[in-house]
Amino acid sequence: MSKLIVDELITQTANRLFSEICSHEAIQNAETVGEAPEIWAAYTETGFPWISIDENLGGSGGTLLDALEVLRLVGYYAVPVPAAETGILGGWLLSEAGFQVPEGIVTVLPDQGPDLAIKVDGSQVSITGSAIRVPWARSAEIIAILFHDNGNNYVASVQASDCAITPMTNMAGEPRDTVRFDGVVCSYAEVSKAIDSQSFRFRGALSRVALMAGAIEKMSQMTVSYTNDRVQFGRPVARFQAVQQHLVWAAQDAALSRMAAESAAIEATRGNGAFEIASAKLIANQAASRATKACHQAHGAMGMTQEYPLHHYSRRLWSWRKEYGGDAEWSQWIGQLAVAQGADGLYPLITGGSRVL
Amino acid sequence: MRFNPTELSSSELALQTEVRQFLKTELAPGTHEPCLGMAARKDKSFSMKMAERGWVGMALPKAWGGSDRTAVDRFIVVEEMLRWGAPVGHHWVADRQTGSVILKFGTDEQRKRFLPAICRGELGFSIGMSEPDSGSDLASVSTRAERATGGWLINGTKIWTSGAHENDWFVCLLRTSAMEDGNKHAGLSQILIDLQSDGLEISPIPFLDGSHHFNEVTFNDVFVPDENVVGDVGMGWHQNTTEMAYERGGPDRWLSPFSTIEQLLREAKDTPLEQSVQSLFGELIARYWGIRNLSLSVARLIDSGEAPSIESSLVKEMGTRFEQEVIEKLVQLIELEYSPDSHSLFERMLSQCIVTFPGNTIRGGTIEILRSVAAKGLQGLPV
Ligand SMILES: Cc1cc2nc3c(=O)[nH]c(=O)nc-3n(C[C@H](O)[C@H](O)[C@H](O)COP(=O)(O)OP(=O)(O)OC[C@H]3O[C@@H](n4cnc5c(N)ncnc54)[C@H](O)[C@@H]3O)c2cc1C
Repeated sequence: MSKLIVDELITQTANRLFSEICSHEAIQNAETVGEAPEIWAAYTETGFPWISIDENLGGSGGTLLDALEVLRLVGYYAVPVPAAETGILGGWLLSEAGFQVPEGIVTVLPDQGPDLAIKVDGSQVSITGSAIRVPWARSAEIIAILFHDNGNNYVASVQASDCAITPMTNMAGEPRDTVRFDGVVCSYAEVSKAIDSQSFRFRGALSRVALMAGAIEKMSQMTVSYTNDRVQFGRPVARFQAVQQHLVWAAQDAALSRMAAESAAIEATRGNGAFEIASAKLIANQAASRATKACHQAHGAMGMTQEYPLHHYSRRLWSWRKEYGGDAEWSQWIGQLAVAQGADGLYPLITGGSRVL
Repeated sequence: MRFNPTELSSSELALQTEVRQFLKTELAPGTHEPCLGMAARKDKSFSMKMAERGWVGMALPKAWGGSDRTAVDRFIVVEEMLRWGAPVGHHWVADRQTGSVILKFGTDEQRKRFLPAICRGELGFSIGMSEPDSGSDLASVSTRAERATGGWLINGTKIWTSGAHENDWFVCLLRTSAMEDGNKHAGLSQILIDLQSDGLEISPIPFLDGSHHFNEVTFNDVFVPDENVVGDVGMGWHQNTTEMAYERGGPDRWLSPFSTIEQLLREAKDTPLEQSVQSLFGELIARYWGIRNLSLSVARLIDSGEAPSIESSLVKEMGTRFEQEVIEKLVQLIELEYSPDSHSLFERMLSQCIVTFPGNTIRGGTIEILRSVAAKGLQGLPV
């Protein structure tokens, strides 16, 4: 079995760049304005958005594992850009269909646009209807839409400027816009049978898992340092056992979700990883719930202010927890799979994962 | 703190297959009553069968009867045994910690005397740390060993001693010189005591369900020869801390309810599970996958020569709480009045989990103490 490891240079470069461009004020400003063109520009200069996409199609090369490491750090620094949408989601769909990826932002329809009517007409399609919670549609150049027709899968490449976009946000103030298509005409191309709505959903979940692992780790570290600085009763509050419990539980959730994210990333890069992705998303969802609670509690009132940066992470986690599948969806999916293995197959599933399926 | 994802090599996977095959033959499902994790039955003949395959004391050097295998190899054997509910009680303590302690701190004489017998699965060990007045504050132990010709005379009481009534040897943390200037950590030593010694009395302390698990052990002028002192006199605290590190973070800290979960599925085979129970399986399997990856990465760190004490405390604290959560969730969802005498094995096992699992977050150091250790580590303070 081949050993998959992240290119260390990627981690270093991302850490250096993100710590420079993502100050608390910069993140806050992006939320107020609704986009962050300067941060996006700095981000694209490195080629980060297009890692894992074929160079012949305008990508930066590299593996999915590398791309997910960048996403983990995007989560860690709360970088306010559509990193997942432009790269491993939208960029992936476009390049799988043989389209060149554009220089600008790409986005996708997380819910697959159940209310869209897509009519194939020769070399073009015409799209009518609307889609909600579309990340950064307002700033996008292309909206990549996966659709099915006659048993085949296709990707349509829509110019965002042809659509009517109503700005909306998630709980973290990240753009999640409503997009109306009024008979928008665009080109499309076929993708392989393997790229269907299910595999798209898993890939979306994988992207959120990486982001969430980064955010939980950052929150946990912030809480250790805040509680060491904050003095009450003559000593740092971190010396109180009740507070230490919050620190330990948050650190466990950070470790658990990062391990889950990285293990899922490895299997996904190998080509499957459905069990690992589903498990990792469920783990990250639950870890997010516990860790945000612990970290907020240990911060006292300070964590409830806009002035202190904890909310950049906690609000993102509350939002990402529900994106691409909440707890119920994934526990059902894994549960069905697990029960189908029977009693004797249960532990082999845990140790072998997707590879024994 | 860093947990790296790790995968099993092909030889490690081969070991896993071999262990599974062994268990299927030796303990076919339906022919044995599965145990709950490390609180497993003692079955010397089973331990010796495992030992024949080199699976007891396997990380010890070949020169002393071991197999020179890695911490990860041991992890693989242990997780399969526990998951299966195998009766690993007899060799459990020796395999997990005592063998390593004797190898690390003992004399060549002691190694020769104990390690090959441990690796043959023959010897059972008890742990003599706790005393009536010394639980979490272990360094305050007051059972004394006083100099005598050619050895030591021991007086005092150890308590909560698991398996003392069945085991051969007792590794005790004893006070060999009086506490000086309030430095509790000095003046302690580790001594190996034959559980058949004159003056040593073992009285059962019935477990809450009436079973005989642990004991009180009293010493009345018990003589122990010099050659039974492990390591240097006065270094007991340091050695004991090292020993505790061996018992944290492994599969025994999260697998105890697994055989019960399997049994639920086995008994349900003809009736479809309710949606909510299926979802619970989803949740448990996902968490198991995540925790196992963390625990496995601790074993890998040990093999690379590191001493992952914060990591293993975090895993133990999380794992033992998870064990209790598993049982709580089963109880919440499954509408049954469980009986320890039920004809259903699942019900019997679940009842036993409910009654005995409160101890999982206490034994080997409470989770409260583990949190203090881990929190200091997170803050970069000496632990
Ligand atoms: C099933 C089982 C098997 C055992 N087998 C053995 C054995 O074989 N050999 C052996 O030596 N011992 C054994 N023990 C004993 C075990 O090691 C002790 O129970 C444990 O170390 C705690 O000590 P204690 O019970 O005296 O609790 P105490 O120390 O009295 O603690 C009571 C409560 O106070 C809390 N507490 C105490 N000090 C602090 C502090 N500083 N900060 C925060 N909270 C604190 C504890 O966490 C606990 O919740 C066993 C215990 C169990 C349950």
